Amino acid sequence: MATANSRPTVLPGDEIDPSLIPQSKNKPLRLGPGLRHIPPNTILPTVAGQLITLPHKSSMWVEYNSNRYTPTASDLIIGTILRSGPDFYYVSLSPYTASATLPHLSFEGATKKTRPQLVPGSLVYARVTLANKHMDPELECASASTGKADGLGPLTGGMVFDVSLGFARRLLMGRSRQEGKVEVLELLGGDEGKLSFETAVGRNGKVWVGSENTKTVVIVGRALKETDEKGLGVEAQRKLVRRLVKETR
Amino acid sequence: MASPCATSAPEAALGVLPRSDGSAKYSHAGYTVTASVNGPIEAQRKDENPYEAFVDVIVRPAAGVGGTRERHLESILQSSLSHIILIKNFPRCLIQIVLQIEDTPENDYVNTKLVQASLNFAIMPALFQTAVLALLSAGVPMRATAAATAVAVVPQDGVKKTVVDPSPRDIEIAQSVHVLAFTSHGELLLAESEGDFTVKEWDGIYETAKKTCCHSTPAKDGMEMVLDEEASAGPDMRHFLRSTMESKVAADLYWK
Repeated sequence: MATANSRPTVLPGDEIDPSLIPQSKNKPLRLGPGLRHIPPNTILPTVAGQLITLPHKSSMWVEYNSNRYTPTASDLIIGTILRSGPDFYYVSLSPYTASATLPHLSFEGATKKTRPQLVPGSLVYARVTLANKHMDPELECASASTGKADGLGPLTGGMVFDVSLGFARRLLMGRSRQEGKVEVLELLGGDEGKLSFETAVGRNGKVWVGSENTKTVVIVGRALKETDEKGLGVEAQRKLVRRLVKETR
Repeated sequence: MASPCATSAPEAALGVLPRSDGSAKYSHAGYTVTASVNGPIEAQRKDENPYEAFVDVIVRPAAGVGGTRERHLESILQSSLSHIILIKNFPRCLIQIVLQIEDTPENDYVNTKLVQASLNFAIMPALFQTAVLALLSAGVPMRATAAATAVAVVPQDGVKKTVVDPSPRDIEIAQSVHVLAFTSHGELLLAESEGDFTVKEWDGIYETAKKTCCHSTPAKDGMEMVLDEEASAGPDMRHFLRSTMESKVAADLYWK
């Protein structure tokens, strides 16, 4: 358990205690979101949040929650097709932001003749390949090196639910149950709920829930949104799942 | 009679508008302002700047539609907020800040009537503070945080008295009214003045305002040192900002 002092709350422009900055001889220091480096050796936070440092990985970042997604390369996102151009689909990642481009041929096994025909409004699960402040982001639905989709591609059926970016990150954690303290999905699919459904989580604060049963989609979506908005702990999540399942049985 | 709210501590709530990217409600010295921040979003073609984000500030009065007075406040706020937001990180984008004035203190002496095209510096600190809180709540990258305060020089029994967060009555009889804002690094961000004053007076006002905006955190030397001299100079804005944000971050990261 880290002490409160090793994970201080920082505000933009706060000085960071030099003893907290990881000092490694062979690994370069990696700065995550919420920090900026002013040459030669000043590191300042740019957002309000909790400063997290990992000395063994020589990395540090500011953990915070927000609602507006800024694209970053290799993020997995759920996008909505806006329209189709001659070579690209134009995809919306978040409302009122510049659209991202997704090449027509960037799907698994796609050729000019056999590419998926996506109509405006359809959903895709994609990876950000290029994110640059001066250019519109670019996406892919198949790995450029292997050509494999690895689960990416068009999402059919189901429904998308908006969650906060912090909650989406927690859902995407490798061990979301232990590290992120999110258990709703396991509970709904496990003995508690006995529901069968599939999900896809986008870093842009969107969760897609698909199931053969519409009721299941609604239950899962509501459980996720309520967990996010009310900030429920593990015990409260268990209670919520029990209630939702009871209500709909 | 001084209005009781003039000396009350500032209050703030973050994330009051669920649909916006960030929002804040702030009340202090009789003023209540709600702000929403959306951004970075796509800018309109005419506002697009290839090198930096455009900061759009909209001030809405408590009643009626905004006029010349609001436009003037918007332009002052826009230029000072652009200095603390890292606008170079978001070229061709728009950061929209909407400030809705909800409540203003009443003047006990004159009939309150919306007077157009006259300056009202007393509301500036509330507007500025709400905008900064909403930006923090939206997670918009910033160079530093900032705090603002209004100071008036009021003649009282033949002596000039400096009043922090003046009431409407103070402003009416004041010789000069000033608004100053400082970043968390102690840099002067905004200085607007109205009325007659000397350079020496202004220096005094600068010191008073700086003390209000950038109290050095007293816990630095281990023991908490309470500076009794002129504790009534005004609330500690920097401490207030920090404690507000600390509780917000703690609520957001309850799972950590």
